Amino acid sequence: MRTASLRLTVGRPRRGPIGTIAETVRSVYQRRRLLLYLTIARVRQDGSNSLIGNLWLIIDPAVQLAIYYFLVGVVLNRPQANFPLFLFAAILPWRWFTTAIGSATESVRRRDKVMRQIAFPQIVLPLSAVAASTTSFFFGLIPLFSLYLVYPERLTIWVTALPIVIFVQLLWTIPLAILFSALNVFFSDTGNFVRHGLRIGFYLSPALFSFERIQELLAPHPPAHLLLELNPMAWILTAYRDLLYEGRAADWTALLVVALASLPFTFASIYAFRRMAPTFVKVL
Amino acid sequence: MKHPSPILLKGVGVSYNLRMKRKRSLRRSVTHRSRIDEKGHFWALRNIDLEVTDGEVLAVVGGNGAGKSTLLSTLAGIITPDAGSIAVYGSIATLLHVGAGFDDELNAEENILLVGALLGVPASIMRKKVPEILEFADIGDFAKTEVRTYSSGMRARLGFAVATSVEPDVLLVDEVLSTGDASFRDKARNRILALMKKARAVVYVTHDLASAKEFCTRAIELEAGQIIADGPARKVINAYEKKMRARKSAPRPALRRRARKG
Repeated sequence: MRTASLRLTVGRPRRGPIGTIAETVRSVYQRRRLLLYLTIARVRQDGSNSLIGNLWLIIDPAVQLAIYYFLVGVVLNRPQANFPLFLFAAILPWRWFTTAIGSATESVRRRDKVMRQIAFPQIVLPLSAVAASTTSFFFGLIPLFSLYLVYPERLTIWVTALPIVIFVQLLWTIPLAILFSALNVFFSDTGNFVRHGLRIGFYLSPALFSFERIQELLAPHPPAHLLLELNPMAWILTAYRDLLYEGRAADWTALLVVALASLPFTFASIYAFRRMAPTFVKVL
Repeated sequence: MKHPSPILLKGVGVSYNLRMKRKRSLRRSVTHRSRIDEKGHFWALRNIDLEVTDGEVLAVVGGNGAGKSTLLSTLAGIITPDAGSIAVYGSIATLLHVGAGFDDELNAEENILLVGALLGVPASIMRKKVPEILEFADIGDFAKTEVRTYSSGMRARLGFAVATSVEPDVLLVDEVLSTGDASFRDKARNRILALMKKARAVVYVTHDLASAKEFCTRAIELEAGQIIADGPARKVINAYEKKMRARKSAPRPALRRRARKG
């Protein structure tokens, strides 16, 4: 057993924020297997006790697409060429974002029993939630790419740039997941706030409409418009749509800014989590 | 250089902020008023000085809520103390509640690896231990089935086998001897005794005073978060038993009669 060979809790020179973050990152790296097992357990849990198991990973996003297609495409009658692909290119990543944040928020609280018994870097809990939803996101790419069978002319070389956008989205998902999972330990209504926040975020993102269209709609409402511009997911979803639907280069400068803007967030969230972690067991 | 003692605690205190832990605050604030300071913090442990030297098997006794489990959690690194310093040299293993860390959706083998990963045991070592653990837990054909289908006995046996598969320098034990049926209990007991012999230091929390007297070399008694007695196991536990009997019989004479009979 390699757990803690020497610990001097009080009287040890306090590590600064950088030391704390470095230590946390190192501990996660050391426990990468733990991360893997927790992720497997979670993915399997989503598919278990069901008739067709993990096929839901593919069917769920497809059904959601069908609903939005009917709602926006047919009922609201928003003509947009090759609308299903237009929609799916943004809905699927948004779905990934919400499931990741939603399940991460509950992740620490759900494992309270283990935390009371074993000392381990608890930050792997929100991270494994993110990893599990990333896995189901990848399964969701199957119905997405199937759409290219219907619209083969939309498939361009730009699809290969997809990993870059996925990476940028992860950069934003991880700090939020870490932060909310810790807050949820102290305030169990964090989950409610998050849920409503995500709902609002959905309508402030170019998910159902194009970025230009949303900007147009929100132009008379400056506060909402500002929120839209500040919403990193708005830029990320647009990048997805550029690559997958428009078949053109994404706005790489905007994406770089979004990526860089996430870094202070990431560091702050890791530091905050690490500072809150010692009290988790006492509060739960 | 002098070899440091495996466990060294100096002035350790653990406090709970009652405002954060709303659940039990009311009851506790009534029953344990003396342990709450002016800021509203409840001190589960206060001013603990403790050194466990090589080869010692330390029993921790005390009534409910005396701070026994908190002490164990603190030693295990699950709770960080709010005062004082704590140093544990060597690898630590905790046998707290058996089966902690199991995930229902994984099968026995995967759970073994999961718990190993939680404990920080390298996967290569844990993988080698899998057959032995499965054999000890005696779960037969269920090794490849998800743990959620297990009976509670199987679950407990597997949990016990995993928890005791490690060979730590410092072993922390919390009431795990009562696992499974009678035949398994014997097996479990032998295994714990073997682990205790190998470990450099053992801290054993129990209400089973007879067994504590049998294999502990030293005992401390906790009351209201403080050490009130420390010495050879037999002496401390005998005194504790006497005190408990006196306390039980004093206010209610009816009980004394029954105690004498039994």
